[in-house]
Amino acid sequence: MIFFASLLGQAVRGKANEIIGLLDDVIVQVGDDLYPPITGLVVRDRRRQFFVAASQLESFNGAIRLGTSTVNLRPFLRRDGEILLGKDVLDHQIIDISGRRIVRVNDVQLAQIERVYRIVGVDVSAKALLRRLGPRSLAHRIVGRQIIDWQEAQYLASDAPVRLKVSYDRLSEMNPVDLGRIVDALSFRESAEIVAALDNETVAETLEEVSDERVADLLEGMDKERAADILEEMNPGAAADALEDLDRDLAEQILARMEPEEAAEIQEMLAYDEDSVGRIMRSDFVHVAEDASVGSALALLRAMDEVPDPLPAIYVVTRQQESGHETNTSEERLGFRGIVRLRSLIVAKPETQMVEIMEDDLPTINHSAKAEDATRLLAEYNLLAIPVLDDTDSMIGIVTVDDALAVLLPEIWQRRRENVFS
Amino acid sequence: MTTLNPIADLNESPAGHANDRLRRGGLWPYLLAMGPGLIAANAGNDAGGIATYASAGASYGYAFLWVMLVILLCLGVVQEMCARLGAVTGKGFADLVRENFSLRMTAFILLALLLANFGVIVTEFVGIGAAAELFGISRHIAIPVSAILLWVLITRGSYDRVEKIFLVLTLVFLAYIGAAFLAKPDWHAVLRDTTHPAIINDPGYLTMLIALIGTTITPYMQLYVTSSVAEKGIRPEDYRFTRAEVWVGTFFAVAISGFIIIATAATLFPIHKEVETAADAAMALAPLAGEYASYLFAIGLLGACLLAGGVLPLSTTYVMSEAAGFERGVSRSWGEAPIFIGMFTALLALGAAIAMIPGLPVIPVLLGVQVVNGLLLPIELLAILRLINNRELMGRHVNGRVYNLLAWTIAAGVSLLSLALIVITVLGWFGVQLIG
Repeated sequence: MIFFASLLGQAVRGKANEIIGLLDDVIVQVGDDLYPPITGLVVRDRRRQFFVAASQLESFNGAIRLGTSTVNLRPFLRRDGEILLGKDVLDHQIIDISGRRIVRVNDVQLAQIERVYRIVGVDVSAKALLRRLGPRSLAHRIVGRQIIDWQEAQYLASDAPVRLKVSYDRLSEMNPVDLGRIVDALSFRESAEIVAALDNETVAETLEEVSDERVADLLEGMDKERAADILEEMNPGAAADALEDLDRDLAEQILARMEPEEAAEIQEMLAYDEDSVGRIMRSDFVHVAEDASVGSALALLRAMDEVPDPLPAIYVVTRQQESGHETNTSEERLGFRGIVRLRSLIVAKPETQMVEIMEDDLPTINHSAKAEDATRLLAEYNLLAIPVLDDTDSMIGIVTVDDALAVLLPEIWQRRRENVFS
Repeated sequence: MTTLNPIADLNESPAGHANDRLRRGGLWPYLLAMGPGLIAANAGNDAGGIATYASAGASYGYAFLWVMLVILLCLGVVQEMCARLGAVTGKGFADLVRENFSLRMTAFILLALLLANFGVIVTEFVGIGAAAELFGISRHIAIPVSAILLWVLITRGSYDRVEKIFLVLTLVFLAYIGAAFLAKPDWHAVLRDTTHPAIINDPGYLTMLIALIGTTITPYMQLYVTSSVAEKGIRPEDYRFTRAEVWVGTFFAVAISGFIIIATAATLFPIHKEVETAADAAMALAPLAGEYASYLFAIGLLGACLLAGGVLPLSTTYVMSEAAGFERGVSRSWGEAPIFIGMFTALLALGAAIAMIPGLPVIPVLLGVQVVNGLLLPIELLAILRLINNRELMGRHVNGRVYNLLAWTIAAGVSLLSLALIVITVLGWFGVQLIG
């Protein structure tokens, strides 16, 4: 096994074992290869830094040996697509994809694959740090490594001062919760780099898990059209939280670029206090009329394009046409009657009337009540969800246990790094 | 890009009701509107700061006021460089050090930082003890209780809710401005001593000078500025707003320090009362608060110490873990992030334990830590200068020629003073007196 840190500063020898210079850095080409190949060495001879092509490199094992004794002393220049192991990788942060965390590269593992030296992994262990900190003669006595395969390591292109083609595809395979935590913990610029590379849907899912402040910063930094597209994909509550942290003018400009329907939903959310039931409720719930039977309710569910998830219960309502002044409105009021739990629905015979198995002695909550009150009711009455009513007692949504948990869990420090310093 | 839009015009929003909520409510926007500089200035007035300024005024009268002008310039330049580092690179200080210095150098710089921050943590607990004793509560009760309280608040993630309360408590120190006026200082003398540099040949003078520098230009503030600017994602093109904010903040910070010196110089210096305890420092508030001066002082001190006592151990641990690449975050369990949680707990526990040593003289300890901070400052300053002048990192945002000369002069000056103090102290051990 070859490790970069132990090569740094070592003598580079020519064919006749003469010392040509000392190894200053190793150049690697990132792009399409799964394991990036070494394309050259940066060698220093006293003050002069020069480039040695990888084709002249004979061996890294034991000593750094070139296959020739004549080197071209052309000075080293940085080129797009190429990074330096010492300057741009070693000591920098990468994302450990399978470990779902950010780690720092304490050493880089190289290997010869089909005559080409390549990066195969990074060592992130504290032992690697100790080996580099102590005297070199003692380094071999510290054993133990923690290697992350290069394919599992997401390199961040903003770490190098050149233009790079780095694929971020593997990040979209991560769970949005994990990815969100990483986006939060990285520096702003690194997180913006990731967000710029991923598709809108993945970004939307991820941003729902990111702190409001960071989301606002990210939205502010991107193209307004893209910000609007991403917000459309987000759940309206999370989108509203993010917009609230933005400059008002900018928030309006982004809202104006959104599809009217989604924009309206977010505007509705914004009308609620941040810690109110209205802000955390979801408006996709399944309701049936009082005269419905169990069979027709199940048929309705099966016929739906997209069944709400989670589906805690089915709600029985009385439909009343809004006697509004606007003639073209199709708004209907849903007078809340009762809850049919899924369990009751499944065990009942199809011909049973929904009203027979519904429970009407369970609490409801007003949309402007405190979110914490909803969580308390959910716990007290052992409910999976609680119906939310507006001021005219018409049912407008539900708050599920899931939504309530998010309120109950204290703001997690790790996600709000800026608070550490403010 | 600045977030300091006035809140007043929100109601005129044409888009209607929903948009009225686009800005967060609560106390925070008002405090922000009051001026971020003022807030930052107060957050900097911790136990060590108050003790140092009060001692300087009580022992030397207005003689240090001109030094504060020099410190204003130094602090401004240093903070500005740190803010620029954050804005241009988008990275925090620990990140920058690790990625741009050799590993051994990184370890050295961060160790100096750890030592400086740990000293300050100790002073915060000393301050908590002193504040409690002004209320008649034993520090042997107050210190462990606050240490445990802070640990629980932070690891349970509810610290950010109480943080604002602590911050508001520190506003009490603005009372020094009122006290300074009410003490009817000789404004002519104030003006004369501010504008006429004079050096006193006194063995304590140099120590006090370094303590003043050490408490005003703290590594902890530099970390904060770099990281918070990087966090906010301020782009280089918007940097001029940040620069203005930094200078305003610096001005307020030094102005308040100056008023503390004036207040103590006008009340304590004429009666030759040196500041030996927290109660002495509180006495300078008497022209304003009368018999309640010590309570008022204790409230402010408690707020300041609890604020810094919570933030410092956490940010220090964060910076160290980030540089080393350890798993971090207080929401992590002991098993998930043993080094992070362990180090955080150790900083709190050790800091509190040292502050509880029986018979510990409060003000000399507070001053001593500021001196140590002053001695460590050159290391951080040189690191900042190396980073800010790294063209590969900063591009065209490196220091200009004149500015660079100024920055290097400051670093050299601070280093020379520190070196001088070390030499004089060491010679003193062998009975050689250079001054006095």
